[in-house]
Amino acid sequence: MKKDILAVCFVVLLIAVLLGGTEIQSVEEYYRTHAEEITPQSETVRISIRCDTILDNWDDLTPALQSEEFVPQDGVILPETELVLHEGDTVFDVLERAVRSNRIQMEYQGADENSFGSVYVQGIHYLYEFSCGPLSGWMYRVNGEFPNYGCSKYVLADGDVVEWVYTCDLGKDVGGGWLGGRQ
Amino acid sequence: MMGKRGAALLLAAVVWLSAWMPCAWARESGDCLTIARQIIIWKKAQLGLSADEPLLCDTFLQQAGTTAGDWYPFAMGRLGMADDAGAYLAVIRSVVQQRYTTPEKLSAAKATEWHRIILAVLALGGDPTQMGTEQAPIDLVADGTYDRGKTVPLGRQGINGWIWGLIALDSMAYEVPQDAFYTREDIIEQIIAAVLDDGGFSLSGGSADPDITAMAIQALAPYYNSETTYLHPGTGEETTVREVVDQAVACLSRLQLKSAGYASWGTENVESSCQVLVALCALGIDPLTDQRFICQGRTLLDAICDYQMTDGGFAHSFTEDPANPDAVPGQSNSMASEQVLYAMAALWRQQQGMRRLYDLRPEMPLSLSSHIRMLNRNIAALHEDTAAGELEGLLKDYYCLPESERSYVAGFWTLHDLAVDAGLSAQSIAAATTVRQDWGAAAAGENQEFTLEQRREVDTLPEELTTEYEVTVERLLQQLEASQDFADQETYREKLLQARETIAAIRSEVDRLNQAILETIYPMEELTLRDLTAVEGLARDIQALSAYDQTQIRGREDVETAQLLLHNRLRGVLIGVGIACLAAGVGAWTVVRIRRRRRQKAAELEALAAQFPEDEA
Repeated sequence: MKKDILAVCFVVLLIAVLLGGTEIQSVEEYYRTHAEEITPQSETVRISIRCDTILDNWDDLTPALQSEEFVPQDGVILPETELVLHEGDTVFDVLERAVRSNRIQMEYQGADENSFGSVYVQGIHYLYEFSCGPLSGWMYRVNGEFPNYGCSKYVLADGDVVEWVYTCDLGKDVGGGWLGGRQ
Repeated sequence: MMGKRGAALLLAAVVWLSAWMPCAWARESGDCLTIARQIIIWKKAQLGLSADEPLLCDTFLQQAGTTAGDWYPFAMGRLGMADDAGAYLAVIRSVVQQRYTTPEKLSAAKATEWHRIILAVLALGGDPTQMGTEQAPIDLVADGTYDRGKTVPLGRQGINGWIWGLIALDSMAYEVPQDAFYTREDIIEQIIAAVLDDGGFSLSGGSADPDITAMAIQALAPYYNSETTYLHPGTGEETTVREVVDQAVACLSRLQLKSAGYASWGTENVESSCQVLVALCALGIDPLTDQRFICQGRTLLDAICDYQMTDGGFAHSFTEDPANPDAVPGQSNSMASEQVLYAMAALWRQQQGMRRLYDLRPEMPLSLSSHIRMLNRNIAALHEDTAAGELEGLLKDYYCLPESERSYVAGFWTLHDLAVDAGLSAQSIAAATTVRQDWGAAAAGENQEFTLEQRREVDTLPEELTTEYEVTVERLLQQLEASQDFADQETYREKLLQARETIAAIRSEVDRLNQAILETIYPMEELTLRDLTAVEGLARDIQALSAYDQTQIRGREDVETAQLLLHNRLRGVLIGVGIACLAAGVGAWTVVRIRRRRRQKAAELEALAAQFPEDEA
């Protein structure tokens, strides 16, 4: 009789464990697999990718790209997305993570391959520099400002808002002058 | 106290002196070559190469075909300092062939990709019209200049495309075929059409930018003496190149700062001065003596030398430049240094009486160059009262030159205008003069051989090849194909072809993995156990690559993470199943026990009932 009660208790316990989840991980494993999960403690940044300016310069766009497949109707390639900020993350690191996890095409020249000594983003979502006229290309803003840094040199802080925007007029159409924010 | 301060001052002076010494010394001896050598040594150090290694080695050649990789070889070739021209030519050839397998070839929008490579290939003695194979010929000049419009307009990227297209087209005075998309005149007209109200040029209209203005002059320089008029599409008026260039030069003179340097996009920088220097040399103007370009005794060369750092390289600027955010103020910068390097080439070539920087035809036969030098000297000695007969003689000396060489007569318009004032008709003198063709031949090309050093390189290729050897193998193959026949050629060819095949297989595996990773593991939150086999396969395939090739895999850490994630999940499921089985087992056992006990009890009761039947009744 006593044994039965014990057994029933044991079964109840096992069911409780089962319902509670059986993914038992080491601390290291936990951090590794939950690195991108946002918790109340995480430092985060927000990133978006837009190409609205092309909508106003449609005729300048390379004909092969004149399709909704490449230029979304609202110009939004990636709506504002919150990502976990890891220590030392640059604008480029966050961009790369964002496009990879959202399966957006991107092409860049590595730091060793260009004269500027920084990563140069050539194209996102098949839109490249000069795809929409001689003054077109990708620029980035952090918290509304166009920084004077290469995107792989700009280290982000908690709460920063990164916007990658396509310009058709050397930045004038997205509120930047002097080529500021050219990456 | 005083002693210490004196020492500090002395130290400061030494530091200051050493900071400016290299250039000061070079300037005094007027030696562009010294500056050039210092830049090359700096660039080698920057790449971790020793001073006696060639710069054009496989480390540097990884960048062949990029903006960062082509201007150094070009400048070195123009300075006669190319340390391994063959290596660059071999690699760029294979880079071009590979890029030509994509639909956009070298670039979807940037025609300047073609122009830069054409110039670098020519400077190192190659032929940009023959970059392909017999089966798949590649003519960079046709595709990048006069026929570019068949796919994408030359000016797609703006005025840069037209300017550099013309420079590339004139680099060997290439003939434009009848059925070409653009004529030379089309390209010249496009450049002239872009002239601004202030006489200069810029990328985006508005006011003149020194760099673009200088580049436009560089492109138009070969036509400065041309008497042809072009239609200005903007104003609808006829204009000569001379008028456009004269205004652009005046504009550059106005833009020069007190430091004798230039500012572009609001930042004083070295590259702008370099472009102006190259432009002046292209016109046959001596930038070190022409008063329009000397400010308070300082020349453009002085302004350029201000930017030389102690390590031999050149800084872009001394202040933060929003337009070139990656150049650190006051630190040697690769782009700045490469532009100084080719500016030094332009100046040195002018001082040596050689062809201009972007005229890559073989040097003139001696008879031709001395004829031109003499003519220039005679024109410089002209004055208002020079007799008409003498002017006529000089004009004949001019018109007997082949048209393609006349642009080297810097003072032609002085002569022309004096002759017209003296009542002569330049046109009729031109018509009456026969062009001399007997100037002698240019130097012959050299024989190439597959050197012992190159053979040793093939022999020492490792058994386990990686993509790290891609550049080396491609270079050696191209060098082997270009060499004279030799005894073991076939053996070497076979070994190299095999190596190429092996590397190509690794390359395609790397490409496949990169693509597969993108398709398989993102977004990572959506991974399920069904993806486990695929992820494990990826991890296994990555592991199978060599350590070097693994570095070519983008997101390999993510694959590990994904694998860990799925393994954890699988382990969780297995543990869950185990626990469930255990619970079920224990539960079942308990139920069985309870039942058995009940049955036992029932049986016992029955037995009792059987013992006492009466009671029941």
